[in-house]
Amino acid sequence: MGRRKWVGAGLGAGLVAAVGVGLVVAPAGAAAAPVLPPISPEDLVSSVMTAQRGPLAGEVEVDNALGLPAVPGAPQLANGTSTIRVWSGGEGRGRVAIPSPDGERTLVSDGTTRWAYDSQDRTATRSPAGDHQGPPEGAPGQDQDPTTAATQAIATLRQTSTVAVDGTAEVAGRAAYQLVLTPQPTERTLLREVRVAVDAETRLPLQLTVLAQGSAEPALQVGFSEITYGPQDPSLFTFTPPPGTTVRDGQDGGRPDGQQGRPEGERRTVGDGWDTVIVGRAPAREGGEQQQRPEGAPDLSALGTPVSGPWGSGRAITTAVATVIVTDDGRIAAGAVPQQVLTEALAQ
Amino acid sequence: MTTAVPTRTSAPLGRLAAAEVRWVLRRPRTLVLLALLGLIPVALGIGIALTGGPGAGEDGDGPGLVAAVAGNGLVLPIAALGLALALLLPLTVATASADALAGEASHGTLRGLLLAPVGRGRLVVMKAAGVLAVAVLAVVVVAVVGVITGMVVVGGPSGTLITLSGTTLGLGEALGRVALVAGWTIGQLLAVAAVALAISSFTEHPLVVLAAVLGGLIVFGVLAAIPSLEWLQPLLLTTGWGAGTDALRDPLPLDGLASSSLRALVYLVLGVAVTVVRMRRRDG
Repeated sequence: MGRRKWVGAGLGAGLVAAVGVGLVVAPAGAAAAPVLPPISPEDLVSSVMTAQRGPLAGEVEVDNALGLPAVPGAPQLANGTSTIRVWSGGEGRGRVAIPSPDGERTLVSDGTTRWAYDSQDRTATRSPAGDHQGPPEGAPGQDQDPTTAATQAIATLRQTSTVAVDGTAEVAGRAAYQLVLTPQPTERTLLREVRVAVDAETRLPLQLTVLAQGSAEPALQVGFSEITYGPQDPSLFTFTPPPGTTVRDGQDGGRPDGQQGRPEGERRTVGDGWDTVIVGRAPAREGGEQQQRPEGAPDLSALGTPVSGPWGSGRAITTAVATVIVTDDGRIAAGAVPQQVLTEALAQ
Repeated sequence: MTTAVPTRTSAPLGRLAAAEVRWVLRRPRTLVLLALLGLIPVALGIGIALTGGPGAGEDGDGPGLVAAVAGNGLVLPIAALGLALALLLPLTVATASADALAGEASHGTLRGLLLAPVGRGRLVVMKAAGVLAVAVLAVVVVAVVGVITGMVVVGGPSGTLITLSGTTLGLGEALGRVALVAGWTIGQLLAVAAVALAISSFTEHPLVVLAAVLGGLIVFGVLAAIPSLEWLQPLLLTTGWGAGTDALRDPLPLDGLASSSLRALVYLVLGVAVTVVRMRRRDG
């Protein structure tokens, strides 16, 4: 009898553990695909373009399996999962909190001024909210009819890809359409599929999934894990630097010379569609490079594996979704393609 | 059946528990550990006040949150609780749990308790009350000493708390955040204490309990650091122990605190269940 009791107690304890751990671990997703009326890709894209962006709050989960090499000074780029909290008040107002185990970076925009606050060194950087800071989606197509724009965009995409609305999914508890872009078989790319989940009701893109060749797991998944639509507390979108904070003025914001800032003459593209390769010239690699590199920017010269060919020699950095070759004479070729396509582009 | 049956045949539970708490709190080792815990925020506060004002942690030299305490005194109790939760607080509750059952057994006094006309369940409740008192007191000591040291020694922007998100909280809300972290820490400690009590009920060597609990915490830490064992992380009690920092964010995210509390609850239920079952069957 004593033994039976022990077995009972053991079973009970095991049950409690299983239920408890199940409650803790249970992922929110994995629900059955919701049933939604069918929609064409054109209609879906144009509705995304026309949709009103109301206020919302949510958590964005970034699941990174890009296989980027570990870059000192930028641990966020390495593989792993991170959660970002976002609030949007509409009209260009927003707040983003990027937590780290013992600190937080906060970005606040009240529509006219943007603040970036870093709790680690207690600095706040202020910059005017430029045009490029508006919500990235909806920026194009402002001046033309969204339906036409969507049709055109999809027609362009169809030259190199299969565009389809591939069923539905549940993302962050919302029923969503899955817009799927698949490269045509002739495209020589590392990417297998790009999926965008669009909220069926609000037509807000909820999740972006990038799948690479030869892997069932997504190489990159960025999406809401939690989202609530509705008015937000307006105090979220104002920022007053707390006492003891160093306030800096950053005119260009935290955005160093991006793609647009580069003179066009230095860049050319080879190929089109998914196997587009960008060939450019690295910033001067003369002796002064060490001094010119902005503080905090990673040193890339030690990354990658050495490669050489008729085009010269250099270092190849390979990730799950893209390859970059930096040649010794300062040329850079990059694309979502295998290394061979890059070397062909460099040889041209 | 006609004789006058006394309405109460056993001492009320409250009195038993109170006696046990008095007994636990009179132990010198409990008092020494509580005093040591009180020293943590004081030492932290004095160290920070002497070495760094605001912005001194420019190169991020302090261990994590400690850098955020400079010039922001009300962060001190939260940082101190986080530091103490790593080892000293679990050590305190493990000591109390070890003394509660294994210690009594090693002195041979547990036999007397088991023979006494006290139900075994009541005995466990009474012993658990002693451990609970130690856990609560330990956390309250760190929190209260932390708040006082933070306000007096470190100081801050006129009784306010600057969150990691760059917002400023008033005194009332800041104390509320400290209380939240304190309550959450007590929950985590009770999970440790329940497991320690369960181990304590199986042995008559108090050191085994201490070694098992501290060794277990270290093993959990090692397991959490092995990337290929990532799937194990949701099962480890220590996984959520960084969630105390969340109280310094604004708006307050409750996910981490809630999930780690739930995990602690599982450990607590398991520990208590094993303890009760074992004590019901224990011979002495």
